[in-house]
Amino acid sequence: MTAPAPHWLSASEAARAFAARTLSPVELLTALLARIDALQPTLHAFIRLDAEAAMDAARTAERELAARHVRGPLHGIPIGVKDIIDVAGLPTTCHSAILRDNIATADATVIAKLRAAGAIILGKTATHEFAIGGPSFDLPFPPARNPWNPAHHPGGSSSGSGAGVAAGLIPVALGSDTGGSVRNPASCCGIVGLKPTYGLVSRRGVFPLSYTLDHVGPLTRTVADAALMLDALAGHDPADPASAPSQARLFGRELDRGVRDLRIGFVRHFHETDLPAHPEMTAALEEAARVLQAEGAEVRTVTLPDLTEFAGVNRVILTSEAWSIHAPWLRARPGDYGQLSRRRLLPGAFIPAGDYVGAQRRRTQMIAAVEETLRDVDVLLCASSMDPASRIEDAAETARTYPRQARTPFNVTGHPALAMMAGLSRDGLPLSLQFVGRYFQDATVLRAAAAYERATDWHIRRPPIG
Amino acid sequence: MIPSDLQKTGAMTPDPIAADLLAADLIAALARAAGLDKALAAFPEDVAAAAAQALATTGAIRVPVDPAAEPWPPMRPGIGL
Repeated sequence: MTAPAPHWLSASEAARAFAARTLSPVELLTALLARIDALQPTLHAFIRLDAEAAMDAARTAERELAARHVRGPLHGIPIGVKDIIDVAGLPTTCHSAILRDNIATADATVIAKLRAAGAIILGKTATHEFAIGGPSFDLPFPPARNPWNPAHHPGGSSSGSGAGVAAGLIPVALGSDTGGSVRNPASCCGIVGLKPTYGLVSRRGVFPLSYTLDHVGPLTRTVADAALMLDALAGHDPADPASAPSQARLFGRELDRGVRDLRIGFVRHFHETDLPAHPEMTAALEEAARVLQAEGAEVRTVTLPDLTEFAGVNRVILTSEAWSIHAPWLRARPGDYGQLSRRRLLPGAFIPAGDYVGAQRRRTQMIAAVEETLRDVDVLLCASSMDPASRIEDAAETARTYPRQARTPFNVTGHPALAMMAGLSRDGLPLSLQFVGRYFQDATVLRAAAAYERATDWHIRRPPIG
Repeated sequence: MIPSDLQKTGAMTPDPIAADLLAADLIAALARAAGLDKALAAFPEDVAAAAAQALATTGAIRVPVDPAAEPWPPMRPGIGL
């Protein structure tokens, strides 16, 4: 059997290859830089590469390995970082003219943790402006494109992270998720996107969009890599007011356990009646339920609050909190925003304080409803996106399909949620599903996802981009 | 000022143009109160679309009627309280 090209190695595989001395950090980074050189003009996954610093770090990692000094499980692994996350010395532009010259003075906590685990920061990846706009052509940088078909969008807002991981430009990347922004690109690009439990991963040094909805999470090509990244990222941070005092570690400890004793609640009404999905997406979800049942899980239908109301609660909270952040710039420099983000941020000016509190009160009830359901099942299975990715230049179709998703409920509730590939459409675009678990039982979500991954071959499919 | 159709018939019937004008005036007043004079001048359609979106979004939520239903996150004392 031919060994995979270095750019298709997962982080776990690359770490094993480093240990076996069949690959070095410099060789891996050199291969990735060559691939970026070839594909960046098409995909626009990166806003800024830090190739020189990354190569210096790779040489250091190589010397340390030769001296049998391993910093951590990500030793010598290059990562991409969504450009709303601070990396000391690099601009954090949020893909916006507003912050074009904003140089970060310190690493975000997640970057410090990844460096401590041995990771190498390769560059900053494209995002929707301030993690809220959409695929836009009126910003300082072009939008990222989907490796499965560059005429289509890659999802967002962590769009460059999704496109870069799916195209083999980087094995893993960081994104943020306020209404689904890690899981959307994972769904559109056919990879794995994990939104951990609210409070498990620090947001210190990450430009905020909505304080009570923001999460930071990894985008990877395998479930094992998502667990590896979460091991490095999780942990209490006193500098983040929402950080939980969790001691959870070794999130991959249950990856091999299978689903034989798991009770899986299938939230069919999300994609059948709340927002009827594209028929190919519906078929992929039914097939996933069948696969999990065949693997030994008990799959039963469950009911949660209506998806459109979840979206409404998410939107009122998000726009209200975002307005409190962006109001000074929207007042003074409205023309420096792209039109999409301006239109998505301005509604916060028109939402009365009472409606914001009302949404937070309804949120408490919705959390109780999901908790009640999770008393009877271990994991939820549901849709992530209702449609495959639309053409990036078809603004009307993108505006129609972007909100047709089932990710916002778990920003509202804070439960851990993972999106992954569940098929390919007739047009060759990824289909997706979502697993959701109890608070701080991210390991169980990863366990269900790993069982599905083992039982199918979607994770080894590669986009036809070279 | 009494709308013209009310003067004639004594009954209020919807006047789409007047309603739009009223809404536009109201939106402009709210936008100015929020300090969005520049946005209103340069991007009036974006401001109007944002106001419409805010109205549609808040209308989609069933706010609890029970006064005891508290908001998330729970209020809790922190350091210094």
